[in-house]
Amino acid sequence: MSIFREHKTTADRSASDRSRHKKKIEKAIREGITDVVADESIIGHDGKKKIKIPVRGIKEWQFIFGDNEGHKQVGSAPGQDIQKGQVIKKGQQPQPGQGKAGKDKGEEMYEVEITLEELAEYLFESLQLPDLDRKKFKKLLDVKPKKHGTRTQGIRPRLDKKKTAIERIKRLSASRMHGTVEIDPITGAEIFPYHDNDLRYSHIQDRPKEATDAVIFFMMDVSGSMSTNIKYIARSFYFLLYQFLKHKYEHIDIVFIAHTTEAEEVDEERFFKRAASGGTHVSSAPKLALEIINKRYHPSAWNIYAFHCTDGDNWDDDNAAAFDAMKELSNICQMLCYTEISVDSERPSWQSEKTSKLWNNLGKIEGGKLRLAMLSKSQDIWPTFKKLFGGLPDV
Amino acid sequence: MSDWTFEELQEWDEKIVKIAKSHGLDWYDISYETIDYHEMIGAMAYHGMPSHFPHWSYGKTFERTHNMYNMGLEGLPYELIINSDPSIAYLMKENPLHLQVLIMAHCVGHSDFFKNNRTFRDTDAVNVTRRFRSARQRIQSYVEDPTIGIDKVEDLIDSCHAIQYQIDRRGRMRKSEKALRADYINRIRSSKDEKYKNFNIDKLPLEPEFDIMLFIVENCKNLENWERDIINIVHEESMYFMPQIRTKVMNEGWASFWHYRISNELDLPDKLHIPFLKSHNQVLRPWGGKINPYHLGFEIFKKIEETKGIEECFFAREVHNDESFIMEHLKEEHARELNLFTYSPKGKKNPDWSIDDVVDEESWPEIRAALIKSIGGNGIPVIYVEEVVKDTLILRHEHDGRDLELSYAENCIKHIAKMWKGPVKLYTLLEDEHFEIS
Repeated sequence: MSIFREHKTTADRSASDRSRHKKKIEKAIREGITDVVADESIIGHDGKKKIKIPVRGIKEWQFIFGDNEGHKQVGSAPGQDIQKGQVIKKGQQPQPGQGKAGKDKGEEMYEVEITLEELAEYLFESLQLPDLDRKKFKKLLDVKPKKHGTRTQGIRPRLDKKKTAIERIKRLSASRMHGTVEIDPITGAEIFPYHDNDLRYSHIQDRPKEATDAVIFFMMDVSGSMSTNIKYIARSFYFLLYQFLKHKYEHIDIVFIAHTTEAEEVDEERFFKRAASGGTHVSSAPKLALEIINKRYHPSAWNIYAFHCTDGDNWDDDNAAAFDAMKELSNICQMLCYTEISVDSERPSWQSEKTSKLWNNLGKIEGGKLRLAMLSKSQDIWPTFKKLFGGLPDV
Repeated sequence: MSDWTFEELQEWDEKIVKIAKSHGLDWYDISYETIDYHEMIGAMAYHGMPSHFPHWSYGKTFERTHNMYNMGLEGLPYELIINSDPSIAYLMKENPLHLQVLIMAHCVGHSDFFKNNRTFRDTDAVNVTRRFRSARQRIQSYVEDPTIGIDKVEDLIDSCHAIQYQIDRRGRMRKSEKALRADYINRIRSSKDEKYKNFNIDKLPLEPEFDIMLFIVENCKNLENWERDIINIVHEESMYFMPQIRTKVMNEGWASFWHYRISNELDLPDKLHIPFLKSHNQVLRPWGGKINPYHLGFEIFKKIEETKGIEECFFAREVHNDESFIMEHLKEEHARELNLFTYSPKGKKNPDWSIDDVVDEESWPEIRAALIKSIGGNGIPVIYVEEVVKDTLILRHEHDGRDLELSYAENCIKHIAKMWKGPVKLYTLLEDEHFEIS
């Protein structure tokens, strides 16, 4: 005689182990994001667009066998006609540049689909705005309820019918493959009811937003010496900045200023696509920014961020003027970041120093609102970014 | 939700017990616990142990099983019974009555196997749940210890898991290094054999050591007590589960053999018997590209009964493990009926997997060898401690034609080095060349 009894559980036993696993995945997402931020495909999308980021599954390492000829698998196919030499599984051609064949065996990749907004949340969670003038501003924290993904539990009115139907279809098509769909013996139709696990509910989350408004000045050197490569780095950097500030502020104005020897306010498209030509007066851009601030963005009402990207190849006669203008602009900004992009392989031979004179001069007054940044490849963007906003040591 | 009552379960259980006893099955008492789907997935993540220490990997297992089930890739969890006295088995509330009957009959087979198969004789089934509970309490105390904490504990368990199956898999009596040394000293004194003349008695270990965890526990000088304890806990768990790995085919075969036979004698009404057969066929269907242990084990036991009688089946369930079982009882003719075949990738130029051999007189020994390599824990590479030189732990992979997966081996070596708290080297072959990982 056996004993029968109802299993007694007081709590969801694996909950804490699941949450620790989830934390590890989130960490992997954050680490994976650094490769994603410079990826062309995400640049220029609005926040609603979903992007896929590959995230490595959290591995449990053990000694296992690889696939080599000496590793023969055994199968069993009673009643089927099989022959020697018959191909039963397509292999993958080793990709060039992938290193040793089969090195990535069993790499569990999760493709996490997230919106740019969510991506920004992961990215910027640990970062802070430079908030030096906090006291001056009366900040109201707005709370704004927002749809934020779906959950498996929720209240009826928030049932997301579309997502729920999709879940059922997913299950159905998988079950079809495995032949586990029940068939109605009379009509021959598939019986495949909704399952509790199919249900998806919209999740609503209150998200605080800072009520003050911000304006960003994106200034870029578009002189002849700026190569496509350098402009691409600048663009990626600006994209990230834009996402970050948008994440923190309800409203953002963006002003694009392109300059050669003279500065001009342009639209986004022209800013990035404009063909490069002409000489360089860095001073022209901060001067124009100051003018625009005077006309449209009074510092007592606006948080002002200004970023400037150049290859550092400023004309000598402008260095003093550029220094003064930068200094003046930095006094009314939350942050002014002067960025030099210098791709090692593209640096002209006469320029032995990695940094320019202007950089060196500005370096003397760096700190507080004025920051300097140096980028030489797209992989530098994220560490630099973290340094600017995270106050963390260079990674 | 369910189409059955406890009374019905009890009624069917009584009948099952009666039939099983009449055939001479001898099993631990079974305690059935009814649980819902969510609890079932949870129980599976912890190998069915009522009490088990926490680790993030069990959370991962839970999520994976849950996802697979939700995506329809895995059927409902079928059965879960643990090797304990009494045996604890879980019945999922959502399962229909015919499936519960099948599972109960199946569990009787498993429990009989646990109790009688020789491989399990040292698993101490009476105390196992107590041992797991005590391990959990100890680990919990390290987690709560402010000088240790969850991160250190989980990191060490990660490392232990990297070599959890690098224990002796033959079930040999293991001698500690100390006892072994005493043995050798005796032998050197009494023997005139040439090989003992210049024998280095200080070599560590004196004989290849297959149990890496225990070797580290016994020979690493810098381990703290809590670390030693955790390694021992994981080691003990591995020793407990190894017999199940070594007898998967037999164990599932034996349980299937009996659920099938018992059900035939149960006189199930049609409304139970037809779905019962459907479930039975689903469990026992061959998987094509991989051996289904339920199917293979069932077929072999059936064949033994046909050719040698039921007594021989009982004898086999007592003395064999998967390896010896297949060597002894799977014959060429039967393998041909099962249509066994081997297949492999054909190198870099043509990475497709194609069939190497189907069973015939000539190929059978090779196919059998490949089959044996894939069952009974032989799918896990054998790594042993060869020597300790200065502080470096030198490991060797017993290469049997199958190369190690390099990235995995590299990471395992890192884990071992963390536990050993010193340098570690592994020698293996890769594409027929000597290869060293450190």
